Amino acid sequence: MEDCIRLEYDVDGENFASAGNASESVKRTLKQLGVSPEFVRKVAIAMYEGEINMVIHAHGGKALAEIYPDHIGIYLKDSGPGIADVDLAMKAGYSTATENIRSLGFGAGMGLPNMKKYSDEMTIETAVGVGTTVYLRVNF
Amino acid sequence: MNVSQFVKEAGCTVFSEGEDRAIESGYCGDFLSNIISRATDACAWLTVMNNVNVAAVATLIDCACVLLCEGVAPDEAFAARAASLGIWVLGTKENVFEACKTVARICNV
Ligand SMILES: Nc1ncnc2c1ncn2[C@@H]1O[C@H](COP(=O)(O)OP(=O)(O)O)[C@@H](O)[C@H]1O
Ligand SMILES: [Mg+2]
Repeated sequence: MEDCIRLEYDVDGENFASAGNASESVKRTLKQLGVSPEFVRKVAIAMYEGEINMVIHAHGGKALAEIYPDHIGIYLKDSGPGIADVDLAMKAGYSTATENIRSLGFGAGMGLPNMKKYSDEMTIETAVGVGTTVYLRVNF
Repeated sequence: MNVSQFVKEAGCTVFSEGEDRAIESGYCGDFLSNIISRATDACAWLTVMNNVNVAAVATLIDCACVLLCEGVAPDEAFAARAASLGIWVLGTKENVFEACKTVARICNV
């Protein structure tokens, strides 16, 4: 396997106070590695949206980031409810978030579209009742 | 204009402090997905949102400061996270529109 920096995080599904910690840590690492701000920002946006989705839709999960010289690969893996209709979920503005979640500033239905927009590659593996794994790749 | 100077001139409340950087632009919004993808670097982010996720998003977007409008004050979790992340969180009684005008006038943005 090619050399890379691997960072792993448990994303707590019950705790909004720590939501965003994994993305923040990856962002800090990329900055320290001297990755240009433009790419750091793309990664931060895409990963934060994915991390938040695990918190608000899937009772948390695991985030894994693999940093290579020319790109980053991010895996967001949860054992939540899964997504029944991925095309529908990808639509800008589509959200199943509750009023309570929306009052916290989430649930604009822009998470998956943002992840698509700010990554160079995105794949979603999901099964209802089993969980969801999202892979995001951002090229530097 | 730097955040500390803005605080003096605008007479804002200071809930937590961070690096004293220049405010170079502004962004208003409460939906975190909009903010994270659209707010510009070194902006003053004006919001009425009061919860801990504001602190996380503020770090991710590298804003110069968060300005809580309409008399909003951070709750305990938000204040603690902002302090530990080193984020300027300011407060004003003005509504978002009036606060925008204040930022624009004082910071010339
Ligand atoms: N990890 C996930 N597990 C289950 N459902 C998800 C997950 N991520 C997204 N979804 C579903 O896709 C919808 C759209 O997601 P997104 O675009 O991020 O918008 P939002 O999170 O604001 O609702 C969500 O409302 C939810 O129904
Ligand atoms: Mg989302």
